[in-house]
Amino acid sequence: MIPNGPGSPAAGTELELRWRSSRHARRLLTLGLTGLFIAILARRPEFAGLAAPALLLLAAGRARRRPPRITVRAKPTTRRVFEGERLAVDVAADDVDEGSVRWRLHQGPEVAPVGATAADGRQARFVITPERWGRRQIGTLEVTLRDRWRLAEGHATMTLPGLDCYPAPAAQRTTVVLRRLPNRLGEHPARTSGEGIEFSGVREYVPGDRQRSINWAASTRRGRLQVNTFAAERSQDVVLLVDSTSDVGQPGSSALDLALRGAGAAARAYLEARDRVGVITYQWGGASWLAPALGRRQVYRIIDSMLASDAGYSRGASFARLPRAALPPGALVVVFSPLLDQRFVEALRDMRERGFSMLVVDVLNTEPPARRRTEDRLARRLWRMEQDAIRFSLRELGVPVVHWDGEEPLDLPLAAHTRRPMAARR
Amino acid sequence: MTGPGRPRAVAGAATLRAVAGAVGMRAAAVLLGAGCLIWAALPAVHRGYATFVLAVTIAAVAAGGLRLALATVPVPDETYWPSPGVRAWRAFLDMMRQVPWEEGAVIGIAWLEVLHPSRPWHTAVLGAGLIAYLLVVHLAESDARLATLRPQARVLGLGAVVLALGAGAGMLPAAGPGAGSALLRLVAAGALIAAAGLVLPYVARDV
Repeated sequence: MIPNGPGSPAAGTELELRWRSSRHARRLLTLGLTGLFIAILARRPEFAGLAAPALLLLAAGRARRRPPRITVRAKPTTRRVFEGERLAVDVAADDVDEGSVRWRLHQGPEVAPVGATAADGRQARFVITPERWGRRQIGTLEVTLRDRWRLAEGHATMTLPGLDCYPAPAAQRTTVVLRRLPNRLGEHPARTSGEGIEFSGVREYVPGDRQRSINWAASTRRGRLQVNTFAAERSQDVVLLVDSTSDVGQPGSSALDLALRGAGAAARAYLEARDRVGVITYQWGGASWLAPALGRRQVYRIIDSMLASDAGYSRGASFARLPRAALPPGALVVVFSPLLDQRFVEALRDMRERGFSMLVVDVLNTEPPARRRTEDRLARRLWRMEQDAIRFSLRELGVPVVHWDGEEPLDLPLAAHTRRPMAARR
Repeated sequence: MTGPGRPRAVAGAATLRAVAGAVGMRAAAVLLGAGCLIWAALPAVHRGYATFVLAVTIAAVAAGGLRLALATVPVPDETYWPSPGVRAWRAFLDMMRQVPWEEGAVIGIAWLEVLHPSRPWHTAVLGAGLIAYLLVVHLAESDARLATLRPQARVLGLGAVVLALGAGAGMLPAAGPGAGSALLRLVAAGALIAAAGLVLPYVARDV
């Protein structure tokens, strides 16, 4: 389904037309000149007659007025889409009194057309779909205005606006919850008693307890008034740490693709659980970050932040000196990384030693190519052992590492940690 | 019949009609080209590189038809390292679309016609056929309908009159032997075209 754009019309862009003869006119000119040439050389007047219709058509077409410019309105139905979603680009030409307009869309990289890329008429609609996340250029629009007799063509080219393509979020419904939650109202049942809805136990009545919380069955059995207690409901701070240093694997299912899709899914799931969610994008020792916050819009802020940091080099703050706003104490840190950058692994160890509760989602789904030479096989085996050692060392530090292949819902690899609150070992 | 199935059926029929129209226009272009070629080539002559020109013209007409048939075939996308087959296919499509086949066919057909002794009415019919060939090629390549030519009807009518007058001038007996007489007829034909050009603004107005 294609989203409809806002009602306001697109602003017109005035384009200069470059007029030239059409192919049809060149063919008529060839016929006319050939006929006249033969008539003169062979002195046969009937060939001058043969040339006449073509020359008359050209002369009549030449006398017609050609507008020097054209006003074109082009507007995509939306500027933000997810991978694989469709959007339409509506184009229209103003100030066209006569003649016909032909549109041709030259799509940008990683943008695929859905249906025809050429259309006739003063208005047209092209449907496209971005194939991969990122800031994408829709492409260029070639406008051809033909005169009424189609003997001349005016050409103009217009660059279409860019769009933000968000990574298609993976499926995630469950969330990992820390055992110790900050004293802030939320939806996760905490270990302390409070005003929640989840039953936690029965205790003796003390003056001041609400009458409606008296458990009459327990009071009858024990001979004293007993009241029900409930778990307090708290929220947590979640920081998504995305490692964008290594983009290995097939485009579309590379480590970075999976990291962004997983982070998008996690952001959505935790925000729906009323948690404050932020993001840190790690790049070669540096980081860009977005402080944890609540609300539906935070999903888009997080994805925008991740897309903005897709530059491949260090920007923003140093990862070792992130402020408390970016990485609040007691926050749950969910890491999406292929764990290929040794400095990043060291940074994770450092964070763990500072007391952060962490969970690593391993998004590495590729290996060095298998070759037949002994040295290659040995190197491959060493590489595997090194990768296993990295994961083992993190587990030894109390950092769970789960592998995600990008196909299955994130709930499956996280199942062992979503069933019960995660202990924050210090 | 009403219901959701109806519009789809109508849309399918419209698409089928459009495809049939496009195929018909391309077939008409090829048939007109072939007809003009046969009309100009017969009876066969064996001078002035007639055989070579005939072969080239047959190739040009056939390639022009192939170009129209392949007009809607998309060019393969640019890739970093295309296979030899894809590269060959791209080169073939580029060649088919860039070379002016119809211009070559028109020149070849006119050449074949001039190799024959003067036959003005025959040349006039060929002229009508050639202009029809070029118009149908244009309609086929731009997927336009025949009604697109309606504004040009008056000019085409004037052209037909000049074509007939040119043929008539060719059929007039020469005033006398020698080159001067032929040149005189040629000047008369040129004057006729010039006169038609003067009339043209009035004929072409408001069309």
